[in-house]
Amino acid sequence: MTVTTPQTVIVSAVRRRHLPFSVLMGLGLAFLIVFAALTSFYIAPFDPMRMAAGPRLAAPSIQYWFGTDEFGRDLLSRVLVGGRLSLGIGIAAVLSGLVAGGLLGLIAAFSGRAIEAVLLRLIDVLYSFPDTLIALALVAFLGPGIENATLAIAISLVPFYARVTYGLAAAERAKPYIDAARLAGIRSGRLVRVHVMPNIVQSLIVMGTLGFSSAILSAAGLSFLGLGVQPPSPEWGAILASGRNYITKAPWILIFPGAAICLTVLSFNLIGDGLRDLVDTRRKGR
Amino acid sequence: MLVLISKRILMALATVILVIVLSGTLIHVVPGDPVTAMMAQSVTATPEAMAAMRSRLGLDQPVWQQVLIYLWHVLQGDLGTTIRGNEPVAMLLLERLPNTLTLAVSGLAIALAIGIPLGFLAAVHRGRIADTIVMVIAVLGVSIPAFWLGLIMIQVFSLKLGWLPVAGSSWRNILLPALTLGLTYCALVARMTRSALIEVLGEDYIRTARARGLREHQVLLVHALRPALISIVTVVGLVFAYLLGGQVIIENVFSWNGIGRLAIQAMLERDYPMIQGFIVVFATSVVIISMLIDILYGFLDPRMRQR
Amino acid sequence: MNTPFLRVRDLSVTFPAKGAPFNAIDRISFDLARGEILALVGESGSGKSMTSLSIMQLLPGAAQMSGSIEIDGQDIVAFRRRQMEDIRGAKVGMIFQEPMTSLNPVLTIARQMTEGLVRHKGLTRRNALTLARTCLDDVGIPDPDRVLSQYPHQLSGGMRQRIMIAAALALRPGILIADEPTTALDVTVQSQVLDLLFDLKTRSGSGILLITHDIGVVAETADRVAVMRGGKILETGSVDDVLHSPQHDYTKSLLASHLTVDRSMKQRRTDREETGA
Repeated sequence: MTVTTPQTVIVSAVRRRHLPFSVLMGLGLAFLIVFAALTSFYIAPFDPMRMAAGPRLAAPSIQYWFGTDEFGRDLLSRVLVGGRLSLGIGIAAVLSGLVAGGLLGLIAAFSGRAIEAVLLRLIDVLYSFPDTLIALALVAFLGPGIENATLAIAISLVPFYARVTYGLAAAERAKPYIDAARLAGIRSGRLVRVHVMPNIVQSLIVMGTLGFSSAILSAAGLSFLGLGVQPPSPEWGAILASGRNYITKAPWILIFPGAAICLTVLSFNLIGDGLRDLVDTRRKGR
Repeated sequence: MLVLISKRILMALATVILVIVLSGTLIHVVPGDPVTAMMAQSVTATPEAMAAMRSRLGLDQPVWQQVLIYLWHVLQGDLGTTIRGNEPVAMLLLERLPNTLTLAVSGLAIALAIGIPLGFLAAVHRGRIADTIVMVIAVLGVSIPAFWLGLIMIQVFSLKLGWLPVAGSSWRNILLPALTLGLTYCALVARMTRSALIEVLGEDYIRTARARGLREHQVLLVHALRPALISIVTVVGLVFAYLLGGQVIIENVFSWNGIGRLAIQAMLERDYPMIQGFIVVFATSVVIISMLIDILYGFLDPRMRQR
Repeated sequence: MNTPFLRVRDLSVTFPAKGAPFNAIDRISFDLARGEILALVGESGSGKSMTSLSIMQLLPGAAQMSGSIEIDGQDIVAFRRRQMEDIRGAKVGMIFQEPMTSLNPVLTIARQMTEGLVRHKGLTRRNALTLARTCLDDVGIPDPDRVLSQYPHQLSGGMRQRIMIAAALALRPGILIADEPTTALDVTVQSQVLDLLFDLKTRSGSGILLITHDIGVVAETADRVAVMRGGKILETGSVDDVLHSPQHDYTKSLLASHLTVDRSMKQRRTDREETGA
């Protein structure tokens, strides 16, 4: 029974260099992808928007690693820059969703019974609907475009983060160190900030990475339908949409952007899953 | 038992009403004037027509009043009429709902048929090769966008191999989209089956069964599978909701004539009444299905049957 | 009748660990004959539960066993799973500490009682059910038909433990391992269950290996006792001998911490002898 805040599992695992293999794989992959995305404008061989950079619908070759699309644009450059877009949307959506949802969850956990009951009902109802659909519905009314899509995805993540944060906070709430702090006269606000937060942060990190995967899938889906990032922006889903009519003649338009989505989501899933297993097994006791 | 059922029904009702209210409010999320947005592409966008539209949608009234009126209409089965063709939204949606549900159920069946055995295998051989393979497949599966898989399926099976038709809604057409959905979501099912079974296998009563000298396959199939399946039932509801969500895009990819495809078209055309109607119908379907699954769970688990 | 049904010789169980492997059980030996109750007493971590699990080969996968365990003349240490499946239940029965969680919540009592009979004795469902009914009667459960159709959660802890005992003894095993059978039960129910075990032992002729941390239980019920600590057996002997003239300091301290040993021992055993149980 401790009154002080426990050391986080992830930090200690990192220190002991004992992260699970899947997490390391995921980190490696994610690192590559993020690096490629950040440097995309520099390493892209062509201007992703430049039409007729090469022959139309050219197969992958030395010159055009991923081939070209129906307008002669270099697919490699488009996929690279598309990565920047996807990652950008993902980070923005997850950060805002996490903050808003987290706040909501904390409020639900540490306010009075009445507020808790109402908020919890609300969160639970929204949580039961798939987030991509919520994003879709919002975008339908907000209108298409990258900013609206990002906002919609952020909002779609709020129920998830709120629910998770509430669960974590409620679990912490029951622990002895909270009682001890309360008895010492510490009030709710400070209690949450100083005592509860550090303990749930590591779980939130895990949820952050998993939400990120979800955000990228939603973004791709929205853009694919024409409701997210608009052409000619090379968001991966958008590339898939425009390449749809040419998939027989030019299957590479289908393969590379899709694989990019897949690998990105995979890497963050590996990280998130691996970390979650780590945190869970420690919490449940060996 | 009755208490359980009535509680569930009440919850479902409350949820549906909440969704209707949200849906009614959404039209105000539109930046600027909804009517301008809707009629932007229309040739007949005269100020009179726009004013007429505005009053038809009730947009000249205060927000809360609108929402209440909308709620009132919906509860009577009136979901409004489309902008595009002035047809009743409810009718259009309900015509296509069976198509959507048929595809969804088929997809779910495939997901369960593949996912449960895989998850079972992984749990029984936990920590060994079979487990790792299944988990790798599962994490890959969860990472693949359903619509991408759909496009690949079309490319391979329809266009290249010419085995199956690309679009349409007859039974022959259901195979590819159902398979796409099934393959996408079987990963999730496999993971959840694995967790459920691992948890069951750690229980004391499994040890008792073994101590009785039952053959291992008896222990697994009689003592472990049943409780695991019961906890999987609760999860099936969740998977189904996700599947329906993914299906909205899949219907688009395969031109499957369901409510998802209708909804996407409406979204592209800014047909707000239709979009709102879709939200209501979709949410109600999900709620009803979840409720039925909850009630089913109540019947399956002997511990719940008393209440 | 001469060779004890269970003969354990130099049994060791080790778990591999970083550095030195951990000896959960360190070369223990004991015998158990039919018709007698041997109590294995010790604190948590002494290795007593592990001993029972090793006899049944229900240890966690990483464990390594060495030594010999003879059941009805056969050394089972090297047995594979299929062979053990024939031994478990039929030759050696086992009941566990937690009646709440040791029965499958989604299967009826009837199912759980008859499956062992069907499996080992080849009885039909119907015959097994009749036998189960008799067994429930034997353990003093009223209205057995009703109980058979019920689920575990509908019954009390004491009832469940009786059912476990009934199910185990229905198979007429040579010995029954009872791992802390009364620890999780209410005090009032505890002695009922112990009485039951004693009763059944006499009637069925099975030997009982009674695992417990409670010396009072030993005094009440057992014929012989083995004291365990740190994976080793410190002393063995008849209950009279060991409890009255303990050789080991540890045994002495165990006894000292339990106040009513003497009284329990004398009282109950005289009771039983009087009623001719």
